[in-house]
Amino acid sequence: MIHATAWYIWLLAALSVLLGTRNPLYLIVLLAEMALVVEALYAPTGEKLRAPVAPGRFALFVVPAGALFNVLTTHTGATVLLRLPEAIPLLGGPLTLEGLVYGAINGLSLAALFTAFTVLNLAVPIRDLIRLAPRAFYPLAVVVSVAVTFVPTTLRQIQEVREAQAVRGRRMRGLRDWLPLFMPLLIGGLEHALQLAEALTARGFASSDAPFDAPRDQGVRYGLLGALLLLLTGGLLRLAWNLQVWGWLLMLLGAVLFGWALRRAGRSAPRSTYRRIPWTRADTLITLGAALTVIPLWLRAGAARLYSPYPALTLPLFDPWVGLAFLGLTLPVFQLYRARVAAAGAAL
Amino acid sequence: MIAFDRVTYTYPGATQPVLRDVSFTVAQGEVALVVGPSGVGKSTLLRCLNGLAPHFSGGTLTGKVLVAGLDPVRESPRGMSRHVGFVFQDPEAQFVMDRVEDELAFALENAAIPLPEMDVRVETLLHWLDLAPLRARALTTLSGGEKQRVAIAAALASHPAVLALDEPTSQLDPQSAKEVLAALARLNVELGLTIVLAEHRLERVLPFADRLVYLRGLEAPVVGYPEEVLPHLELAPPVAVLGKALGWSPLPLSIEEALPFVQKMAVGEGEISPAILPHGGFPYLTTEDLTVVYNGLPAVRGVSVALYPGEVVALLGRNGAGKTTLLRALVGLVHPQEGKVRLGVRNVARLDVAEVCRQVGYLPQDPNALLFADTVLDELYITLRNHGLAPEDLTLAPETLLARLGLADKAQTYPRDLSVGERQRVALAAILVTQPGALLLDEPTRGLDYEAKQALLALLHEWRSAGMAILLVTHDVELAAQVADRALLMEAGQIVREGTPGAVLATTPLFHTQMARLFPGKGWLTVQEVLRYVTSPNGGIAPRA
Repeated sequence: MIHATAWYIWLLAALSVLLGTRNPLYLIVLLAEMALVVEALYAPTGEKLRAPVAPGRFALFVVPAGALFNVLTTHTGATVLLRLPEAIPLLGGPLTLEGLVYGAINGLSLAALFTAFTVLNLAVPIRDLIRLAPRAFYPLAVVVSVAVTFVPTTLRQIQEVREAQAVRGRRMRGLRDWLPLFMPLLIGGLEHALQLAEALTARGFASSDAPFDAPRDQGVRYGLLGALLLLLTGGLLRLAWNLQVWGWLLMLLGAVLFGWALRRAGRSAPRSTYRRIPWTRADTLITLGAALTVIPLWLRAGAARLYSPYPALTLPLFDPWVGLAFLGLTLPVFQLYRARVAAAGAAL
Repeated sequence: MIAFDRVTYTYPGATQPVLRDVSFTVAQGEVALVVGPSGVGKSTLLRCLNGLAPHFSGGTLTGKVLVAGLDPVRESPRGMSRHVGFVFQDPEAQFVMDRVEDELAFALENAAIPLPEMDVRVETLLHWLDLAPLRARALTTLSGGEKQRVAIAAALASHPAVLALDEPTSQLDPQSAKEVLAALARLNVELGLTIVLAEHRLERVLPFADRLVYLRGLEAPVVGYPEEVLPHLELAPPVAVLGKALGWSPLPLSIEEALPFVQKMAVGEGEISPAILPHGGFPYLTTEDLTVVYNGLPAVRGVSVALYPGEVVALLGRNGAGKTTLLRALVGLVHPQEGKVRLGVRNVARLDVAEVCRQVGYLPQDPNALLFADTVLDELYITLRNHGLAPEDLTLAPETLLARLGLADKAQTYPRDLSVGERQRVALAAILVTQPGALLLDEPTRGLDYEAKQALLALLHEWRSAGMAILLVTHDVELAAQVADRALLMEAGQIVREGTPGAVLATTPLFHTQMARLFPGKGWLTVQEVLRYVTSPNGGIAPRA
């Protein structure tokens, strides 16, 4: 079991490199490595657990779509592939190879980002998402987690409604054909939300021993108000009067007061936590691996990091050290594989 | 433990109360079964136990409810959550977490139970409901029965004295239902838990009940021991229907209670149905070595079946056996990896879904997904417009079809305001308006009361006589026995048995009807078949030879 914090650091590292480069070769390597992690996450569970949308399928859609959209709407670049009549609004003009490549890189970047979030979605249980929130925000965290679980439910519902309409003879040709889907989807979603709200109420969600009319903690109220005032005043001092030191000082005080108020509010919202996962050596290794992935890209990659097909289309450079460092993102694969072997051994 | 004293409850905006003058008591450790037609207030009654009615739904409640010495109206659902565990009809709709043990711990974390105690409680819950091997599993990967057991365990997390369940077996296959009910019986005996459940499938739950609450709408409810209330019920399990017909007293509630009566009877030899009925003519719909992969797994594997005009075929199997995927493949909603589906001689893969569905009506499990128009009649006209048809093209006008389905007076009603059974008939009308030659029904009796089920049975008989080919996916073996000409048994994506219902249902223990269990080896499935052999010509009971 990999610790949730290790996964969040892994995601942070993955996002840093993905947002820090436009080199298609690096993006392809990163995408392939993260796809490996997704596969490793599927395999050891032996369950029919699947992401709502497979990252591979998403990449197959978004890369060509990105390329097509860009080539049709951006008419700059030296290598003209085709010319559409200027009379066609937006689309008219030269279609260039540079525009096509730039759009494909956009798509590649999006696909890699999607894969990184898919990893987090598959790896981190909702429980850990809730635990990250301050105790005072627990009900809000549950609502967020419910919203997260709502995504696959809604996707399944869309599929059901679409099929139900298809069996009544509706052909999905244009946007207008999708409109009738909206009403059953909306009603179904509201019905589901009501059912869940009822279930949460029946299970005593957000209940406490305190009676309804118990006095509110005035300390929390004044603390939050004071923190807000300090933050605003600090910001104003910095921006309006350029009093940087005083500004920062007040903002720091505001942040401390905010933290104190949250902590105090958390104490009045009692909650216990079921089984914290211990931090292991493997978690440290994964964290270090993820952190090391980022450094060479910023230190060594130079111009290769921010590749652009403009003004002239060239082949992107590939720094093998940077490529090697990216392997740090695959460390979870080894840990997941080890866990699988250990589980198989225990089963025997 | 539970006392209802002249309870009347009216939903906001309603002109009539849904519960009227309901009074009954349930002692600690009893199992109370709430029965009655759809819309009569069974779920509302359960919601009165923990204050969801009126706190969550609004409305007015008069009279007095006491549960574990507390007044749910005063305590509110939050306060009652420690005393009443509640399991809703659809377990998936109530899950908050994504893994089994996290779901069980959710209520405990919420109540700030210290970790050592929480550990003990979660382990106990896992043990009670036989969930220990599933503790780390994602909820989405569980079967229907497993999900229902998780929902029950989660409801028991706060150690309530009362457990309320709303149709806990309505979505389950016979084996899963048996597992869930066995778990409930164990909890009732070992923990002295008071259980109140609403259920339509009486043949499954009646043997467990200590008390019956029969809600009758405008008439006063009948409450008492099962043997006292049973004679009042139209909806009686086959074993009780047989008991009534043969004058058994007291009426048996289970196979075990009926066996002593059977042992005193003279029972002739039945006619074992032939294994396979010969078919004439050309099949309407066929599959040839069909293999369909769904979610990366082969859900249908090498299935070859044929559906002929003028027959009803029941497709049975456990949850996840691949039945729904097979239906979806038959109308082209999923494409086969191998093999073919043929509509007449045409390959379905080469046809548009809409084109297939003009000739093959398909009613999915949830009819709500089909309904979106403002009125019932509009639903039918929208289908016609989708297919490019005009009412003049049809031999049966939409209004006539609605009348045949008993919906003539509902033509201008908003479909989602109707009862479950009525909504299902509207959905049926919406797909049948094109007058297809075949009809595929996926669990059509889910949530239907006795009357709605009988109405559906009559319609199926009528359509079969008119030459329609009908494929019925169901867990309701009693229904399959009554209506099917042929039965198919599906396991792990394959058809493992095929033949007459007598040959398939009577020889597959998991799908035995009550009569098949009562008279093993005879090939009898329904009360009518049994009565044919065990009564003398003058209607009396034949003496033992």
